[in-house]
Amino acid sequence: MLQAIRDTHRYSPGELRTALRFLAPLGLLIGIFVLLPVLGTLAGSLYLDTTFLERRFAWFDNYCGLLTDHTFLQSAWFTLTFAAVSVPLELALGLALALLMNSQVRPLGLLRACVLIPWAIPGAISARTWELIYNYNYGLANALLGGLGIVGEPVNWLGTGAGAFAALVLTDVWRTTPFVAIILLTGLQAIPVELYQQAQVDQAGALGRLRRITLPLLRPIIIVALLFRTIDAVRVFDIIYILTRGGPGGSTTSLSLYAYRNFLGGDFGYGSAASALLFVVALGLSLVYIKMARKLKIKMR
Amino acid sequence: MLSGCNRSGGQGITLAVGGAPNEITVWEQLAESWTIRSGVEVNIMRQPTDTDLRRQGLIIPLKSQQRDPDLFLMDVAWVAQFAASGWLEPLDRYAAPGTIDTTAFFTNILEQVDRREGRLIAMPVYLDCGLLYYRRDLLEKYGYTSAPETWYELVAMAVKVQALERAERPQFYGFVWQGAQYEGLVCNFLEFAGSAGGGLAFENGQVRADTPANLMAARFMHGLIYDSKVSPPNTFTEMREEEVRAVFQQGDALFERNWPYAWSLHQREGSPVKDKVGVALLPHFPGGHSVATLGGWHIGVSVYSNCKEEAAGLLAHIVSDSVQVTFAERLGWNPARRDLYDRRELQEKLPHLDVLRAGFAAAVARPNLPYYTQLSEPIQRYLNGALSGELTPDAALEKIENEMQQVVERYGRE
Repeated sequence: MLQAIRDTHRYSPGELRTALRFLAPLGLLIGIFVLLPVLGTLAGSLYLDTTFLERRFAWFDNYCGLLTDHTFLQSAWFTLTFAAVSVPLELALGLALALLMNSQVRPLGLLRACVLIPWAIPGAISARTWELIYNYNYGLANALLGGLGIVGEPVNWLGTGAGAFAALVLTDVWRTTPFVAIILLTGLQAIPVELYQQAQVDQAGALGRLRRITLPLLRPIIIVALLFRTIDAVRVFDIIYILTRGGPGGSTTSLSLYAYRNFLGGDFGYGSAASALLFVVALGLSLVYIKMARKLKIKMR
Repeated sequence: MLSGCNRSGGQGITLAVGGAPNEITVWEQLAESWTIRSGVEVNIMRQPTDTDLRRQGLIIPLKSQQRDPDLFLMDVAWVAQFAASGWLEPLDRYAAPGTIDTTAFFTNILEQVDRREGRLIAMPVYLDCGLLYYRRDLLEKYGYTSAPETWYELVAMAVKVQALERAERPQFYGFVWQGAQYEGLVCNFLEFAGSAGGGLAFENGQVRADTPANLMAARFMHGLIYDSKVSPPNTFTEMREEEVRAVFQQGDALFERNWPYAWSLHQREGSPVKDKVGVALLPHFPGGHSVATLGGWHIGVSVYSNCKEEAAGLLAHIVSDSVQVTFAERLGWNPARRDLYDRRELQEKLPHLDVLRAGFAAAVARPNLPYYTQLSEPIQRYLNGALSGELTPDAALEKIENEMQQVVERYGRE
């Protein structure tokens, strides 16, 4: 099993040429649409570049400004804690859903469809939906909890830093857990049934099977899910723009929102530097995951 | 004439507008009739309703020096940024007498917003200012004869009416206004502060925001939510223009601070408050005077346009007497021309034109600086923090002044 990731095979020059020819179009696209903008942003971040002042090269002035900018540091801290809380929750729930979908629960089609709905809804629209749930006057949450007598007075869910944070995490977990579940499901389906049959012969319990077979074999795909989700979480923008716009008191400003506001104010240099730092954070986290995946691969050989 | 701009040349000129569907319809009809009249093809570039997205949709083409759009609408809060970026073609040479008659407009507004270094770089299309909406029927019911003059009168009335109305309407509040973390909060703050004699001052590169008058305003705003409790707890989370309007329009508030657009919606068929609403200037603190933050949209010609002559021609048409009347009648937009406020037929259509004229004459523009967006940011953040109770109004103002000072030091050395 997992032989697919073994790369002991050596390619002949002819094979390499063919491979290159197939890869070239994609490489060109990535070059134009990914690499160039990233390099452009990095270069731009070294300039004092506002639309309303003389543009000049400023070395690392923008970065120095950011690192002493209280708002930037606060938004960096918010972004990292947001990712650190929401991603593990999404992983745990996604795993549970994937196991459920992989089991013989009926009706399977209906279950899968239900799970997928939040993922199929565009982010901005699900954020609007949640806005109606959290709304103080007309929101579903207050109506339900008030109706059941759980809360007396309506609760202003987005009214404290902690409340707004929790509300954003919940929204993010709701809409992206299906993505994690689907990715993990493909991993689950690749695990040979014989292993479980064998384990049953050895009288291993459900928990034992999960711990000894499922999780270890699922680990590479878990890392892939983590990689995607973490990068997405540190870039979070849409749900914040709609639900809190960074409030209350700026406590839920994400790095993307911070950079966006600088662009809107015409400061492209500062905004680029903020984006570049966001890129570095995402890249750093990706490298950690890729390294984890590689270690795992070596161990599995 | 150089090619391309006339109908025979093909592509014509592009006008960027945004807003609600009914506004777009009016613009489209205007474009058609102008084409018939002048022979210049006008393409409408349709922008979203959201102000931020409209600005984003203009910054991108202008920053990359594209020829389109040839002319565009700007929120009053970003005219200075666009002007200082060198994106606005000076209009003076097109403003010959008979084309754009600048004397017909509110001069205080032209001076504060549309003139930069002595040159005319934009023209107002319509004006907005903060107003006090009140329930005439309820004031009458509880024996009040007029709208409140001072903020303390407003609170006293709100406390009493709220307590009594709640017997029937448990969600009833005395006063709703815009306190969420966004630009609207700054507009509200400047009105409270200005009516206490405060505001934002810039002297020799020094920002003055942490002043006694501003502190009085910030504490008062905080008190509306926590002491007199006449403003709802979600004032600082959800209360933007439309949320505020919805609460008032449902009959759940006595007073509302909003822009003039709310009037025609309150008066719409089926509105629970139809014919029960009065409009007044905002109250002031004892010894101060009413202040309204200036809003509204202005129009300018892109410096990158290759059809400036034609674009300026359309601009002159848009700010002309007849088009301004059309906007007022069909969209309820308040004319930028002062002379229209005496027109009988408009007074029938917009019954509070007198209040508005007084409001505009006393309107205070937000700091007309190219980096205003960056200055507004700490005000929004810390003032909203104070309204949420996470820091005191005193601490908020201290932080606002410090951070505004940093912004001025960063961008202010031209």
